[in-house]
Amino acid sequence: MTAEPQLPDSSHQSRPAVRAALSVLIALHVLAVFIGPWAMPPQTSELAASCAQIFQPYLETMGLANGYRFFAPEPGPSHLVRYEITSEDGQQIEGVFPDRNQHKPRLLYHRYFMLSEFINTLENPNGPSANLQAYSKSYAEHLMHEHQAKSIKLFLRRHYIPRMNEVREGMKLTDKRLYEEHPLVLHKPDAP
Amino acid sequence: MFLFKSVQAWFVDVVAAWNRFWFQPTDPATLGLIRICAGAMLLYTHLVWSLDLAAFFGPQGWLASDAVRQLQGDTYTWSYFWYIESPVALWTAHVAALVVFAMLTLGLFTRVVSVLAFIATLSYVGRVPGALFGLDQINVMLAMYLMVGPAGGAFSLDRWLKSRRAGVPLPVEPSWSANLAIRLIQVHMCIIYLFAGTSKLVGPAWWDGTALWMAMGNMEYQSLDMTWMANWPRLINLMTHVTIVWEVFYCALIWPKLTRPVVLLLAIPLHMGIAICLGMVTFGLVMLVGNLAFVSPSFVRALLSWGRFSQGRSGERELPVGSGNVTKPVRPAAAAASRKR
Repeated sequence: MTAEPQLPDSSHQSRPAVRAALSVLIALHVLAVFIGPWAMPPQTSELAASCAQIFQPYLETMGLANGYRFFAPEPGPSHLVRYEITSEDGQQIEGVFPDRNQHKPRLLYHRYFMLSEFINTLENPNGPSANLQAYSKSYAEHLMHEHQAKSIKLFLRRHYIPRMNEVREGMKLTDKRLYEEHPLVLHKPDAP
Repeated sequence: MFLFKSVQAWFVDVVAAWNRFWFQPTDPATLGLIRICAGAMLLYTHLVWSLDLAAFFGPQGWLASDAVRQLQGDTYTWSYFWYIESPVALWTAHVAALVVFAMLTLGLFTRVVSVLAFIATLSYVGRVPGALFGLDQINVMLAMYLMVGPAGGAFSLDRWLKSRRAGVPLPVEPSWSANLAIRLIQVHMCIIYLFAGTSKLVGPAWWDGTALWMAMGNMEYQSLDMTWMANWPRLINLMTHVTIVWEVFYCALIWPKLTRPVVLLLAIPLHMGIAICLGMVTFGLVMLVGNLAFVSPSFVRALLSWGRFSQGRSGERELPVGSGNVTKPVRPAAAAASRKR
């Protein structure tokens, strides 16, 4: 039988009962931290999903429901939102976010970048999802409020990444062939 | 009988190892350094919200409450911003949060402000899903663990004031909860890298070695033009492969003393590369702050030359031999030299 090693100063140690209770909490917490990303859609097993259901209140309350899938499965094209606004006096205003020149410092730019990236994640191949519609409407209403607009059109702009050989042959990152765009929402204040 | 005794001995060993791992008292120096760095990051992150506070957190903001609530559905995600409607109340809550983060950074009333900082951090995150990225996840994680241990036990105003009140130099107080907080950060970092790495394994670009090019060639992320690297495809391949191997095996290679320095040293170019080339300075830095959990308290004190400073001014003494993670007290060269003089 191996004795527990003597710790340096017993006054700084936890009591055995405290250690036992904390050990249970630590084990549950670490399990929850693991289950958070393990059960994160889209690729997840039924087992992971069931475990996540048990830990859901804890994961969400503590902000642990994260996938940590940075640049996974691989870095892809970026997404921007372009808008066309018609103001009360009939003036046409166009803009894109994120906008490097307008949104400074870089962290604020990144917040705007995430807004446009996020709306792409809500896109559904079977048609516009309820969340996509709600978020598009939310962006549209904010822009209309900012610009005192009469109507607005939103577009999702996808910016593809050129291959290495294409860049070696002279293609620029801003090449028009790398962009595609489709409408998100057409919104008027009185629209249902 | 022999089998029973063997199993019993094994079980006792496991319990002892578990207790050593989680509850061995340690110098709170590493936790103190993480508090300063994470506190400063929390302060900066939330200070930047000030530039567009109403646009993100106000009733007419980008993320309307009904859209966010629809997205969050029946989740347990929460935020005190749901109860704030007037601009004055919004700014009051925001300034209060900034004060809390500043106090956390300085280590003033740390026990209380660490809890308040966690509540505030979660509230910001809970209100604006859609404007978040990895930085926010790591901010939440660090704020959570700063509540667990005595984050103000080193390099803090709390410590300085306590020493001043006592009128005598205070010894460093090893703490099991400091060790617990550090261990939780360490384990959490391992889980983060494990999933960051394994989730990339289904991406062909991580196998054909072009993934880092796809990050560098993304104009919206780019903060430094690295497209010249298109002329160095094998270098990009190598960097891609090193990145994924490092992430996948981090959770194993960070523990042995032999490989830990290599893993930690590789974290610097990897995360600083993200910081400098992809414009995510905050994210790159906060990941490095998480990695600080693997730096021993003695190394932290040596690095900051705190030994000399504490002997001369703050009154903190070196740890006794064998205290927690510190197997031997570190006496910075400068401190030793000053004593000789």
